[in-house]
Amino acid sequence: MAELAGVFAASHGPMIVRSWDKLSATERTSLDNAFLELGRRITVARVDALVVISPDHWVNFFIDNLPSICVGVGEAHGGPPEPWFKAFPHRTLAGHPALAGHIVRTALERDFEPSVSYQLALDHGFCIPLWKAKLDPLPAIVPVIFNDIEPPFPTVKRCYAWGAMLAEAIASFPGRLRVGVLATGGLSHSIGEPDMGRIDEAFDRDCIRHFEKSETPALLDFLNQRLPTAGNGASEIRNWVAAHGAAGGRGFELIDYAPIPDVYVGCGFASWKLHEQR
Amino acid sequence: MRDYWLSKLFFDLQSPAVAAEYRADRAQLLERYPLKPEVRAAVEADDVAALSKLVNPYLLRFYFLMAGMPEDDFLRRIRAAGTAKATADERR
Repeated sequence: MAELAGVFAASHGPMIVRSWDKLSATERTSLDNAFLELGRRITVARVDALVVISPDHWVNFFIDNLPSICVGVGEAHGGPPEPWFKAFPHRTLAGHPALAGHIVRTALERDFEPSVSYQLALDHGFCIPLWKAKLDPLPAIVPVIFNDIEPPFPTVKRCYAWGAMLAEAIASFPGRLRVGVLATGGLSHSIGEPDMGRIDEAFDRDCIRHFEKSETPALLDFLNQRLPTAGNGASEIRNWVAAHGAAGGRGFELIDYAPIPDVYVGCGFASWKLHEQR
Repeated sequence: MRDYWLSKLFFDLQSPAVAAEYRADRAQLLERYPLKPEVRAAVEADDVAALSKLVNPYLLRFYFLMAGMPEDDFLRRIRAAGTAKATADERR
């Protein structure tokens, strides 16, 4: 059977690429070190496949048809279409159709109804962390898109349950495969709204404290209360909640937190303590 | 509530070819979208505050980036939209 080899989270703000030259040397070093440590931990986990949970920033879906959750089951996925992200070295990323299909079937058996796509383009939400973490070679990618962008959103309770289901799917996948889970996005930020640029550092630090502990009900209560006031981009913390569910609610170890005004994002990086006894 | 055709316009402008067409002849491209007159007027006036009520904020931010509005200008306008809304709410 496959094994859950690691669970990780990282921010993905596009200004990490677009405003890189405007950042101070200290900010650049902080981000570089955090992404490299993330990459080191993923490499140490020796993952053959990485389930990456990210929003879709209007690249694949529109309000004609906007899935709450979509699983990419294709043999390959397109690279980021953003014109400012041409530095990303891969025009296609290999998928893992067998694992992706198994996740979809497990989801349906567990009363989730994800959408399915055989051809996704993976935008900066997926590709900035993969690129900055310097994963080489890239593991096979199973993209999972959560709608964190356009309300109404999946509840955090449901996101946690989705993550738990994901862990079950990985554990029941036949074959020797080491699988990682990487949630991207967050922490607090606001894009295109009147408080654009505001980073809610108090929220971020409280949020991190909740994720560090393995007190899931308190985490979900906190997010239900505070997520709507932490900027529209904070909605992406739903992906972190799914990762928390995949890790069985075990706490995470913070790699770094850096609220960087020129990135507009409270940047967070973490890996879950999978081997901690409950 | 989203304005569908305004959202569709902003979504379609993510295509570099459509964006180039738009920059070359905005009026001609707008003809393809059945925008309400007041919505079209807001687009033509670069009225960030009015458009912000009608479209997803990520698409709004993308649109003005694509249209060439300097970042500081966009930030000033979107923040002013929030201040105006807060003032209006206080008067109610």
